[in-house]
Amino acid sequence: MVAVIIITSLCMVSVYISYVAFRKGFTKSADDYFVEGSSLGYFVLIFSLLASFLSAFSMFGMASFGYRLGFGSLYVLTANLVPLGFLWYFMHKKTFLLGRSRKWMTMGAPFGERYGTPMKIVLVMVVLVASIPYIVAQIQGIGVMLEAMSEGIISFHVGLFFVPFFIALYLMMGGMKGAAWVNAIQGVFFSIMVFVLFFFVMMKNGGFVPTMEMVLAKHPNLFQLGWAGGKVWNYPMVFGMAAAMCLGCVCFPQPYMHAYSSRSARGLKAMFLSFGGICLVIITMPTLVGIAGTIIVPGLTGVQSDKIYGLVASASMPDWRAAFAVAGGFTAAMSTVNGLVFGNAANLSVDIFKTFRPQTKSSELINISRVFVAIIMAVCVAIAWNPKTPVAELSIIAFGTVAVTFFALWGAYYWKRATATGAIFSTLVGVSLNVTFFFVGGKAMVLFPQKAFFQLNGFLTAFIISGIVFFVGSYLTQPGKTERESLKLFFHPILTK
Amino acid sequence: MNGVYRKQKEKYHFFNLIFLILFFVLTLFCWCPIGYGSYGEVGLIMGMPSWAFIMLLIGATLFVIEWIYLFGTDLALYDEDLEKITDALEQVTAKETIGEEN
Repeated sequence: MVAVIIITSLCMVSVYISYVAFRKGFTKSADDYFVEGSSLGYFVLIFSLLASFLSAFSMFGMASFGYRLGFGSLYVLTANLVPLGFLWYFMHKKTFLLGRSRKWMTMGAPFGERYGTPMKIVLVMVVLVASIPYIVAQIQGIGVMLEAMSEGIISFHVGLFFVPFFIALYLMMGGMKGAAWVNAIQGVFFSIMVFVLFFFVMMKNGGFVPTMEMVLAKHPNLFQLGWAGGKVWNYPMVFGMAAAMCLGCVCFPQPYMHAYSSRSARGLKAMFLSFGGICLVIITMPTLVGIAGTIIVPGLTGVQSDKIYGLVASASMPDWRAAFAVAGGFTAAMSTVNGLVFGNAANLSVDIFKTFRPQTKSSELINISRVFVAIIMAVCVAIAWNPKTPVAELSIIAFGTVAVTFFALWGAYYWKRATATGAIFSTLVGVSLNVTFFFVGGKAMVLFPQKAFFQLNGFLTAFIISGIVFFVGSYLTQPGKTERESLKLFFHPILTK
Repeated sequence: MNGVYRKQKEKYHFFNLIFLILFFVLTLFCWCPIGYGSYGEVGLIMGMPSWAFIMLLIGATLFVIEWIYLFGTDLALYDEDLEKITDALEQVTAKETIGEEN
């Protein structure tokens, strides 16, 4: 129970920090609540963005992935995210510049101004659909880990309510100002705890190289590409997962919200660049911890293997240190749920509610946003009740689904001929295909290469078809009044650098 | 004057293209072990399969090149440009508002 007490204390600290931010009066208007009045500096931006993405997936999920599938897992969330340094810069430079000038607050704003209200609404709904499996992954990961750390005293189902309750509480009180600061502190905390856990786990068997040699002797396939008769980590599988994660990161709400929150161009660039570099180091460690776990806690399968991060910590460290290490994973999960639930609640209240009721006051918007936070959390807990898919797979499905908005975003900023019809159809077709693949062929159809798709996985197939629909749809239709008028702003000559 | 401006623009596009090609190639390597990976057993480098070690090394190289592009060249956006850009964009917004009022 030491672990549970430490984790509870940590949640209390998060609530307190958010409450202080709220009481100090940082959150006065909707602008402050949603994007912090474009006031965040380097440190908070970098660690807040990091913490809003890194999650139960990156800690518990990647350890579980490494445990089950070996070194190929490094292609899911480490070096494959380094390209985000330039991808985010090119895709969100205009988000930053236009967002400052137009006072944008949500990710639907650029789509609304470029393509019109219908696209803005489609986008909000698509991002919500894609976010749900990812939020469920965090809640599920937390429930599984609480059960493991309390040695069954706290059941999985009780665990599902534990951290979401705290997250909803401080999110409703502090808005993004509190959330960003809490995220940043949590980002620093879990980064340190990952190093500590890695050190202790590897030292248990005499260091990193001796540990890996022991794993190699017992599980040589974990060191190979194309094992299980070429089915696991063949090149199409590696490419499909690496691309899904990276492109999904471009399209989730977090980079939009953080671009709006950036105080300077230098801060924006530092934030985008640092993310991939930090992931390269930080996420490699839980993956390697999971691989080492195969000789420390053998025999876990399926959803149960999501416990490996906590079990290997308990087996390698004294109780209180193990609790701190696992609490690092909890903070990662909390900050991600925080960022995603907040982002979606803001999208729903500003992009949909205010569109249909423009006279809504700023203070009313904040209250509506709080209601959406509560609804999203409740839905996700209900879905997580019967876990069937491990945390890592749930998260990759979420990233793959949201990636289909990539073309609409690129067209908004870089292709004058892009039309609302092309953008709407490409997004709807892409998401529908992802959802259909999941319900027809399960997670295997979305994640693993399929003969019917020329050895591409479901995600890449949906992504490519979505791109084709975007270009064909835009060429076959004429830009309307909104698209034509938006060119003055989105393609202003001053934005060429 | 126009000639100097054109030359500067050509230089800007040339270096931008070089960086884009570098980004594209290194991204491909970060996303797939083409050229440095192989199926089946492989040798270890520092306790990791050789392809995993090389992949992490490629990631680190791409990070350094991105750093150079964003902070070591005049190809990216800087704070000195911000005021000018914001003013120009706000003029468009102001014209739109006047147009709507009329």
